[in-house]
Amino acid sequence: MSGLPPTTSVKRWFVTTNHKDIGILYTITALFFLLFGGVMALLIRLQLWDPTSQILSGLAYNEAVTAHGLIMVFWFLSPFAFGFANYFVPLQIGADDLAFPRLNALSYWLYLFSGVLLAISFFQGGTLSAGWTIYAPLNVPMYTPSIGSTGAVLALAMFVTGTTASTVNFLTSIHHSRAEGMGIMDMPMFTWSMLATVWMMLFAFAALLAVGLILAADRVLGSVYFSATEGGSLLWGHLFWFFGHPEVYIVFFPALGVMLELFQTFSGRRLVGRKWVIIAICLIAVQSFLVWMHHMFLTTINLEIKTLMMATTIGISLPFDLVVFALIYTLIKGRIQFTTPFLFAFGALLLFILGGITGVFLGAIVLDYEFRGTYWVVAHFHYVMFGGATALFGGAYYWFPKITGKMYDELLGKLHFVVFFIGFNAVYFSMFLGWETPRRVFEYNPEFQIYHQFGTIGAFVLGLSFFIMFYNFAKSYVSGEPAGDNPWDYSRTAEWAISSPPPLENWPNRPSYASGKLEFVKDYVPDGGPAMKTDDNGDVATDGGDSHSAHISEYPYWDKHPSHASIWPFALSLALGVTLFGFSGFADSVTVQLGETAAQSAVTVSNALYPIAILLGIVGLLYTGVKWGLEDFYAPPSEFAERWPFNGVEKVKLGMWFFLASDVIVFGAFISAAVFVRYNAGWMSWSPLTESLPGLINTFVLITSSFTVILALVAARRKSRQGLLATLGATILLGFTFMAIKLWEWNHEIFDRGVTISANAHGDPIQASIYYVTTGLHGIHVLLGLVIAIFLFVRAYQGHYLDDERPIEYFGLYWHFVDIVWVFIFPLFYLF
Amino acid sequence: MIDPVILQQGNDWRAQAEIFDEIFFVFLALGTLVGTIVVSYTLWNVYKYRDDGNRSDEEFDAPVVGELPTGQGGPKAKKLFLSFGLSAIVVISLVVYAYGLLLYVEQGPDTGDEGDIEIMVEGYQYGWAYEYPNGHTERGELIVPADQRVDLNITSRDVWHNFGSSDLRIKSDAIPGDHSETWFTVSSEDVEAQGGEATYRVECFELCGSGHSAMEGQITVIPEDEWQEWYNSTGNSSESASIEAPGAGLTAASGVSA
Repeated sequence: MSGLPPTTSVKRWFVTTNHKDIGILYTITALFFLLFGGVMALLIRLQLWDPTSQILSGLAYNEAVTAHGLIMVFWFLSPFAFGFANYFVPLQIGADDLAFPRLNALSYWLYLFSGVLLAISFFQGGTLSAGWTIYAPLNVPMYTPSIGSTGAVLALAMFVTGTTASTVNFLTSIHHSRAEGMGIMDMPMFTWSMLATVWMMLFAFAALLAVGLILAADRVLGSVYFSATEGGSLLWGHLFWFFGHPEVYIVFFPALGVMLELFQTFSGRRLVGRKWVIIAICLIAVQSFLVWMHHMFLTTINLEIKTLMMATTIGISLPFDLVVFALIYTLIKGRIQFTTPFLFAFGALLLFILGGITGVFLGAIVLDYEFRGTYWVVAHFHYVMFGGATALFGGAYYWFPKITGKMYDELLGKLHFVVFFIGFNAVYFSMFLGWETPRRVFEYNPEFQIYHQFGTIGAFVLGLSFFIMFYNFAKSYVSGEPAGDNPWDYSRTAEWAISSPPPLENWPNRPSYASGKLEFVKDYVPDGGPAMKTDDNGDVATDGGDSHSAHISEYPYWDKHPSHASIWPFALSLALGVTLFGFSGFADSVTVQLGETAAQSAVTVSNALYPIAILLGIVGLLYTGVKWGLEDFYAPPSEFAERWPFNGVEKVKLGMWFFLASDVIVFGAFISAAVFVRYNAGWMSWSPLTESLPGLINTFVLITSSFTVILALVAARRKSRQGLLATLGATILLGFTFMAIKLWEWNHEIFDRGVTISANAHGDPIQASIYYVTTGLHGIHVLLGLVIAIFLFVRAYQGHYLDDERPIEYFGLYWHFVDIVWVFIFPLFYLF
Repeated sequence: MIDPVILQQGNDWRAQAEIFDEIFFVFLALGTLVGTIVVSYTLWNVYKYRDDGNRSDEEFDAPVVGELPTGQGGPKAKKLFLSFGLSAIVVISLVVYAYGLLLYVEQGPDTGDEGDIEIMVEGYQYGWAYEYPNGHTERGELIVPADQRVDLNITSRDVWHNFGSSDLRIKSDAIPGDHSETWFTVSSEDVEAQGGEATYRVECFELCGSGHSAMEGQITVIPEDEWQEWYNSTGNSSESASIEAPGAGLTAASGVSA
């Protein structure tokens, strides 16, 4: 049995790994952040009421602007969409759960605790005040000195970590767990747009993680990347927007997916040009990585590159045209039902059309020159991003009956839409009218006061409209009409084929599309397999716990029941939250006085709270990490599944490859940063800070350790415990040798040559920063690998891995990757 | 001191504001037109095909739960590509048209033999400092002559700013360690129309700290002879002391460099 308490138990919500539970947690948490970010928005609007008087100081206003942007983009839009994705992607593809249920829970808890860190940052001398774009060098401690600014940056990094885990999970699930007969082109459109979303996230969020880590290094460890005049500001611009432009589609695509579903369901018509819409979505996902410099037209980028970026920008608007027309034509000759979900989806289309047209204006460089930094941009991206999110509220109404088993109140729903739509246009259309106002300015030209006052009224209407929704959902959850399994006339996707709310393990029998439509088939075990197992435990929980007594009676092809509960995702996230909280105040509470040697250096601690938090957090991370590794958590891959294009790849291995792909981008960003800054400083004006010999020795050490890992795998396959221990042991020793040489090298640099992370006796300080931070990131990877290797060694000593050598293999993949990265780092820092 | 050649050329020059207004008008007109057509067409069809319960079930191929998704083909698919093609033509022609004018904006008008005035602009928290070719420096207010092309070379002393004047339709990033450029020109007619002294508001368009909102400046354009007189009086005076700004940042020592 799963060990999962009923839904009425508080404990369930801390331990659940079920995708539907996590989906609910995501949705509710995201709505909380909608309110949080909404309050920030109302503060901004109040400040804009009168350009001559203010209710917030300049700094507080900047904090509100920054927090509003960060919260809405990161802590509301994406997680809200991922609530639905968690709940419905597995259902739409006929899977029992996501590929890695514990990792999914971890993503959620990292998200939640990152939000807690962000909230705490307000009380650490004020949160970040550099805008959600966090431009350099305003983002370095010299200009934004508060501890809370560092806290917010670390919160963002933590959020991105959770997001990366989620991305890997969804990619693996969608590519690995589709029901028999559901080819990749057969997936419902919501799932399709989520697939495109997570592919973009894999690369875009890796870039954000990299730039966030560099910024954290600047703020916590004292490196000088973003204050460097050798291109530090532009470095931030490039890395941020390389993430930032795909991010627009990352938040828009889930909403687009909801629109594509709802337009079909409420018109009774199938999507027009379905194949072309899918192709358009894929094209957009690829093109989104080729347009980022259109956010930087007014920097010193040359005309040729600007022209190229203008062309790609116009190029990316064309697939969107096709998608919009496909949506419109789908409705024609339909039987359109003006339910609340449809109204929101349709309203989203209208808003998106306006957002799209005003976006074409920005694609023309001459116009962009003038619109840059004005309310035109603000209005445009709210129409696109929040306009898109309008469809997500449609999704909330659409799926509410499935999630709760109760019907929402239609009249209140329509009222919500009307008030929402009026408020939305009042606040954002007025921004077009007063567009010449600079962004993030409250002492604006009084000429535009009338528009801003109108917008402020609209903002309050918009904000209040959500309370109609909250009331509706609360009331309907308590006393709504039972919704039945399928309240919609023309729904198609598999979530409507099962009860509302769905049972814990989703399906009565194995779902299959092999015959061309959804069927639930019973599988029988071939001779010699484990006998069919009847679940004698009658109280299999359903999500709502009350509407359906689903009885999952047979597990013919499983020899073991899947697990649904683990406390370690929660505990691990808490430990990481404590660690990062500690690091937020590290630079302000710990001072290192360098002496002649390491032994003569002095460390002064002015505030013990933060260093203690770091120590506690790291101990907690190790403890929870080990417990995680030891936990007997069973999440079997689906036996019959469509896996194109990864047919032959095992589930965990596929996840590992996806993770490594994102790590490639992280290192790629660090190495690009090194190249970009060096190019700006004058390539030939730098020569290596270090002697090449230690680096060369380390190269051999790492390459040798790659061989020993391969030998470890061979030993495990041959079931040789001694061989496995010897080779793993050799790998660990080589890893420690690498770290020891590294330590000697750093010690030599700091105390003999006067090269520290923020100072360089031989040249530009930024060169020293890049050397320490890039090789440091690699060192952390080696260190993490060593922790895992030691864990594997102990387990191998206890006799594990001889029957199942896959953990050794997957560790090997990671270890090889870290070695390959070194092959790129070595010439850059030791040879040239 | 007024050079008749320059005056003559001045009449042919197009200010950035003029070009912006033209493109903006074209985009606005076409955007409104296309938007109105698309939205009205959509609204009309949504109304027309509303589910009023009066239409028969014949020929209505309703989808069912659990079907593998298929698309609709037929005449609608053709219409889809036709609309897509049309929208592509509109968008691409608009941008190609705007691109032609971009090349002019990038280069600026040809000043012939008579040079232009190049002024170094440096943003700081929270204001603007200017340095003229003769080394004279000003803070806050930039005084320039009419009928002259003024080139701005913009950088920052501390954080990322953005120098812009909505009235003149000029804007450029002020990035520490980097120099960006823009230009403008104001005709003597405009100066006369404003009573012999035309003033334009300068604002910062990139969030730069707690004083960002109040980071304003002014561009003052005066007739060229008046300006020349004023300019000559600055060159040999000792007032061109280096500008010391409060809160000067990392590169404070470097000041304005030509």
